[in-house]
Formats: sequence, structure tokens, C-alpha cells
Amino acid sequence: MSLRHRFASTVVGVACALASVAASAHAILIDSTPKPNGTLSAGHVQMMFKYNSKIDQHRSRITLIGPDKREKVLAIATDSKSNELDTTADLTPGTYTLRWQALALDGHITRGDLPFTVVGK
Amino acid sequence: MELLVDIFGYLSIILHGITIVAQSMTLGGILFLVFLVRPFMHMLPQSGDLERRIARLTIWSAIGLIVAEVAGVGLQVAVVSSTVDLSFFDVMQAPFAIAGTVKTFCALCLIPCLSRRMSIGLPGALLPLLLGVIELTAATFTTHAYARLDHNMLLLFVEGLHQFGAAIWIGAIPCFVVALSKLQDVNGWRMVGARFSRMSMVGVASIVVSGAVMSVFYIGSLQGFYGTAYGVMVGAKIAMFLALLALGLGNLMVTERLRKNQDASVIRLRRFAEVEIGVGFTIFFAAASLTSVPPAVDLTADRVTLHEIAVRNAPAWPRLTSPDHDELAISQAQAQLDHEAAQRHQDAALAVVPGSGVLPPRNAEDIAWSEYNHHWAGIFVLVIGLLALLNRAGIRWLKHWPLLFLLMAGFLLVRSDPEVWPLGQEGFWAAWRDVEVAQHRFFVALIVLFGLFEWAVRTERLRSPKAALVFPLLVSVGGAMLLTHSHQISNVKDQLLIELTHTPLALAGVAAGWARWLELRLPGRGGRIAGWVWPICFMLVGVILLWYREA
Repeated sequence: MSLRHRFASTVVGVACALASVAASAHAILIDSTPKPNGTLSAGHVQMMFKYNSKIDQHRSRITLIGPDKREKVLAIATDSKSNELDTTADLTPGTYTLRWQALALDGHITRGDLPFTVVGK
Repeated sequence: MELLVDIFGYLSIILHGITIVAQSMTLGGILFLVFLVRPFMHMLPQSGDLERRIARLTIWSAIGLIVAEVAGVGLQVAVVSSTVDLSFFDVMQAPFAIAGTVKTFCALCLIPCLSRRMSIGLPGALLPLLLGVIELTAATFTTHAYARLDHNMLLLFVEGLHQFGAAIWIGAIPCFVVALSKLQDVNGWRMVGARFSRMSMVGVASIVVSGAVMSVFYIGSLQGFYGTAYGVMVGAKIAMFLALLALGLGNLMVTERLRKNQDASVIRLRRFAEVEIGVGFTIFFAAASLTSVPPAVDLTADRVTLHEIAVRNAPAWPRLTSPDHDELAISQAQAQLDHEAAQRHQDAALAVVPGSGVLPPRNAEDIAWSEYNHHWAGIFVLVIGLLALLNRAGIRWLKHWPLLFLLMAGFLLVRSDPEVWPLGQEGFWAAWRDVEVAQHRFFVALIVLFGLFEWAVRTERLRSPKAALVFPLLVSVGGAMLLTHSHQISNVKDQLLIELTHTPLALAGVAAGWARWLELRLPGRGGRIAGWVWPICFMLVGVILLWYREA
């Protein structure tokens, strides 16, 4: 191959490389019940966190911080969709925060807080 | 341990970067041995010695891979097991830990496979290649391709191709530099240069094809490219990739001249290859920092528009006066807590607990405080670049310009984190749990180090040629680390608009470092040109900092 041809190949390569990426990234929350700063009715409630990646549910954690700032670890369902963390809790009216920590299948940990309010039925 | 999750997350990015470097050098070394050195054994006069040197370099890379992998997986396992209350053995069954164990095992097995006794015959070639394939396959299982909701097999293959391309090209360049320095005759340089050019082309093609496919799946649109942190980081990678291609093209021309039996500078080939190693490894750290941002295609809300970028970067006069510390949001929150605690006759809580993951409050005064810091840092760097340029032009007494770095480091240490000692309530040691504070302190240490070294070299307190290389190396490291720097701001758009300024800063820093490297290492016109380039890069950093806005 001549130098000119190699140069042409390189130029084509450069043009294509404008789309070059490396593929690694962590899980982000794309939907949830409750919504951030949302409202739920008191009682036995289902809660759901939906991510953009498959999650290792067994090695993730959801903690409920109550109106009195007490923390309680919630059990995560293991039969939910691969990109969801599902849990339940009995809630009385007040202001709560759900603190989640998700381990994506690729090994990346992300965490966040989701504040919400529970109102009487 | 929960207060350390963020700092461990940042450490894991750094360790991931080191792992990519070690993995690429290990795989690159295997490919260089099997496809370049051993086929030419009977034609190269110093082939036996060269083969052992390349094998030794590959063994050390494998050892580096083992250390980085054990540290990275160990850190991750420690964080998961302590924050989720699981046993060590339970966490070791997680996919990332299994993949890490397989990678470590492959690297361990490589060491005896590359020994002198195992280097002969077909098994000597096949075994390292087989271990390399297994290691590469395991590596793809710690990428996002494995956790995606769809197209996992395609993305795993493409990810493997991307890493293979990086290994055969960038990972093998250290072996190429060793070969060029070891061989003494034109015939040897010609053979090695021509074969390595072909290997590099395979690498470039693999990177381009896999990159194009991944861009479809991970970026998806033009707005995803410029409007998300992921896209901006990919842009930085592309800019450095183009720089690598330009250097590679320069080397290709040298090897072509050698092939045609014309005079050519092998020293330029070596020096360009050294810079390629530096820029290539910086790309690996940029790749590692991509782990901290979601793919552009998943970030459908909070994207930045071109209009928002234009508005944010509209020229404005630098902010040269600082707001009062008491007016900052965190100071006001702390004052409120102090007041409430005093009424209850209790000790006041901290407004923000470092490492808690709760982002500090911000108001307009915080923005003004940060802009003031960036603008004064810009003035420092602009003056440093100008003085270095004048010193280069012949004004000898300006050789003390590196001392300005110390002044700048002191300014940054005091002002960067107003919530931390000496200005704020947080203690010096507790603040290490805060990722942003830790990164600022790292940069301050780096600035002090390279400032002191360069001053000592210019005033001839240090006379070793190796001491002169500390400044360009640390400046380049600083640029690479800036690519991993993040501001803890809850607003995703604001965070991205800041990153849009910091990424060119990082690229200018990397360019400055390697241009200074070339000035020191490359004789003749090339070195002289590089000597003018790096102070200009510093001035560019200063201008970008002066341009910086947070609102």
C-alpha cells in the first residue's frame, strides 16, 4: 500500500473515529415510586426504583429514613425485573427519605436519596 | 464506611485507569512478542536479548495488572460487603468479582508462560495468546456492555474489539520504544517499524469500527454528543485520538523513508512514540472516568442545548473581587444550626457531613466565590505562561517564574473549599472524605511539586536530565487527572456546563506537558518548536480559566 493510500485510509479512520467511545458507565435512576418529593398514601405501600442498567438486587440496599430520622433497611424483592429494585413498607403520615445504593452488574455502585411525604388516607 | 463510599468511588476510577494501562501493556506485549519479535528472530542481530527485554516488560505489566486488579476488586468488595452487610465470600460471587478473579488468574499464569523456557515453539505462542483472549473476555464483563438491558452480546464483542485495538496499538508502543532503542542497525529499524505500522493500523481500524458501533448504542444523537457529560468526555477522547493519529502519521512517514532506504530520524520516531504512550495512557484514564457518568442515550432529560452553551460562554469581565465568606449558603446554614443549637444548649451539627453523599447547598454568592477562584487562577497561569515565553525568548532573569506556582497553590488550598479549614467549620482531616476536596488537595500537591522541580532545574539546583522530566510528566498527569475531576453540584446541566470548560483545560494541560517533554528530548527544529508551544498552551489554560462561568 502506498503512503498516499495509507494516508487516505487514516483520514477515513479519523472521520469514523469521531464517533469513538469507551463503554463504561453506572446505573442511573430513570423512574421510581414514589417520585422524588412525591406523595404516597399511608398503609402498606409498594415502592420501586427503575434503572438504566441491570442491577445486582441481592447486593444492593434500600434504607428508609423515617420522620424521627430512624433508619430501617428494607428487604429487596429478588423476583422483580432485572433493572428494578422493588420493596414494601408500612408507612404512617410524615416526611421520609429512601436512601438507595445500587450495584450494577458491571460492578459500579451508585447511590442517592429520594425524599417523599406520606399522607393519611 | 458509608462516609467513604464517594471517595472510594473516585479511587476506583483511578485504579480502573491503572488497570486499563496495565492490561493494554500486557496484551500489547504478548502481541508484539508473538507477531513481531519472534517471527523476525532469525533476521535480527540482537533478537535474543530483545525478546527477553520485551518478555520482561510484559511480565512486569502482568504483575501491574494483578496488583491493580486485586486493589480495585478488593476496594469494591470491601465497600459492598460493609455497606450492604454481606460476607466476603458472598460478594466475591458477584459478576465483577468473578471477572476480576479470572483476569488476575490469567495474568498470574502469563508470568511462567513468558519465561525463557516456555518461549520456544507453538505452545510458547499459543498459550500467552489464549490467556490474553480469556483475560480480554473477562475484562468486557466489567464494562457497561454487560449491564445494558439489550444487545449484550453485540456490545460485549464490540467492547472486546475496542480494548483489543487499544492493546495492539497503544499498549504495544512501550515495546516498540524498547525495540527501537535496543536495535542498532537500519535494517532492524526498518523491519520493526514496518511491521509495527501494520499492527497499529489493525488497532486503529478496531478502535474506529467498535467506537462507531458504540456511539450508536451509547450516544445515539448529535445532542447526546455535545449535550451530556458522557458525550463531552468522548469528545476529549476523540481529540486525543486525533493527536495520536497525527503522531502516528509522522512515524509512518519515517518508517516509509526507512523502507525506501532514505535518511530518516529514528530519534524522532522514538520521541514521538514516547509522547504517544503518554497521550494514549491519558485516553485510558478518560475511558476510566467515563465510568462515573451515564451513557448519553440514557440521559433524556437535563441535556444542554447549543443556546445554553453559547449563553454560558458569552464574554464577560472577570470577577476580581470576592463575596464575603459569611454570605455563602453553607455558612448561612451553619449559622442557623449554631443558633438553633445555642437555644437548646446543645452542640451544633455540621451543615454538611463530608462523604455523606448529601450535596452542599449553593446560592449566588457561592457561584461568585467559585468564579473568583477560577479567574484569579487564570491570571496566575496566564502570567506564568507569558513569563515562560519571555524566558524562552532570552530574558534570563525570568527563570524564577515557576515560583508563581507556589503562590497559586497556596491561594487554591485556602480558597477552593470554603466549608473546610482554614476558612470553614470542617476539620482538615475529616474533609478528605469529600471527593472534591481530596481532588483539590491532590492538584495543589501536584502544582507545588512541579513548580518546585522546574524552579530547581531552571536555577541549576538540580542538574540531572531526569529531574527536568518531572515538570512535563506531572503537568501531563495533572491534565489527565483533570479529566476525572468532578464538581459536586446537584444540577446536572450546571455540572455539564462546567465540564465543558474543564475538558479543554485538561487537554491544554496534557498538550503543554508533552510539548515540554519534546522540547527536552527531541533535538533540532522539532524540539525548538515544542519549546514555544508549551508556554502558549499554559496561556491558553489561563484564558479558558478567565472565561469560566458558573451562571
